[in-house]
Amino acid sequence: MEERTRVNVAVGLFVLIGVLALGYLSVNLGRVSFLGGGGYVVTAEFPSVGGLKPGSTVEIAGVEIGRVESITLKDYQALVTLRINSGVKLQDDAIASIKTKGLIGEKYLRISPGGSEKLIPPGGRIREVEAPVDFEELLSKYIFGKV
Amino acid sequence: MATLGRSGLASAVVLALLLVAAPGWAGQPTDQLRTEIDRVLKVLDDPELKKEGRARERRAEVRRIANDIFDFEETARRSLARHWAPRTPAERDEFVQLFADLLERSYISKIELYGGEKIAYVGETIDGDVATVKTKITTRQGTEIPVDYRMRKRGDKWLVYDVIIEGVSLVANYRVQFNKIITTSSYAELVKKMRDKQEEFYGDEKQKRTSQR
Repeated sequence: MEERTRVNVAVGLFVLIGVLALGYLSVNLGRVSFLGGGGYVVTAEFPSVGGLKPGSTVEIAGVEIGRVESITLKDYQALVTLRINSGVKLQDDAIASIKTKGLIGEKYLRISPGGSEKLIPPGGRIREVEAPVDFEELLSKYIFGKV
Repeated sequence: MATLGRSGLASAVVLALLLVAAPGWAGQPTDQLRTEIDRVLKVLDDPELKKEGRARERRAEVRRIANDIFDFEETARRSLARHWAPRTPAERDEFVQLFADLLERSYISKIELYGGEKIAYVGETIDGDVATVKTKITTRQGTEIPVDYRMRKRGDKWLVYDVIIEGVSLVANYRVQFNKIITTSSYAELVKKMRDKQEEFYGDEKQKRTSQR
């Protein structure tokens, strides 16, 4: 009887650890943040986000400094909400550009830091933005431009 | 056809950089911008200035108007970004001058490419002391090129500090390049590079002029 209880407890613990590990994995892989996560939120408006998704990375000099939290439509423009790691300061004249990793890779948001003394406060807005360049559109424009 | 497209784009770029404002009344950014663009167009369309041998005069005239339109200091400051703060006032003045020369070399010198492109003003947004004026340039081939001017209010005048062509920002472009040069070598190296390019350009110009004579 003693022996049996011990086995049961061991199995129970094992299953519990398994469930916790699974939970951790799904949260991490799914890039879900609980309780709003750390850091602070800034927004940016783009005429188009072409392929940027919630969960996409926000980078400065190739280093991840945050993630895209949500993308919604506002006045037929894309309103992108970013969660930036606390400790990373964004200047008033920082430029947010939507870039592609490699030639056909996923989209990410690149921030080129500015030189202004004014910082963007939590909840503020990045005013200088660059929409992604649509190569297909460009190509067709300059190849078939002549009417 | 490809070359036609490219020259169309090049002249659009030139127009984009040139066609902005001079002293005007306080008012909407679009109104000021339109007035100044019309001024530049007038210079470009002037049959007297189109004559052989007056290209330099014409270019100087355009540069003069461009100085009224652009806030070169703001553009230079934003392009240098975080490398601006450590510079001394003398270094800043020198850099603004070199940067204005760089823009002239790259864009104003191509002014001869202009050939009747049409400019439409399609929208404007004002956000505090910053405004965006959206325009569309239609080339002779019928290609539409979106050009946005980012303007800042200085006193009662709106001055352009960034031009966004086909979604590509001029300041962002130079910011990345300057940052790369400064971080991989030094600020002194960047200034040296810009100065060398300028001298080289003047050398070429002089040669061209003497060979024309």
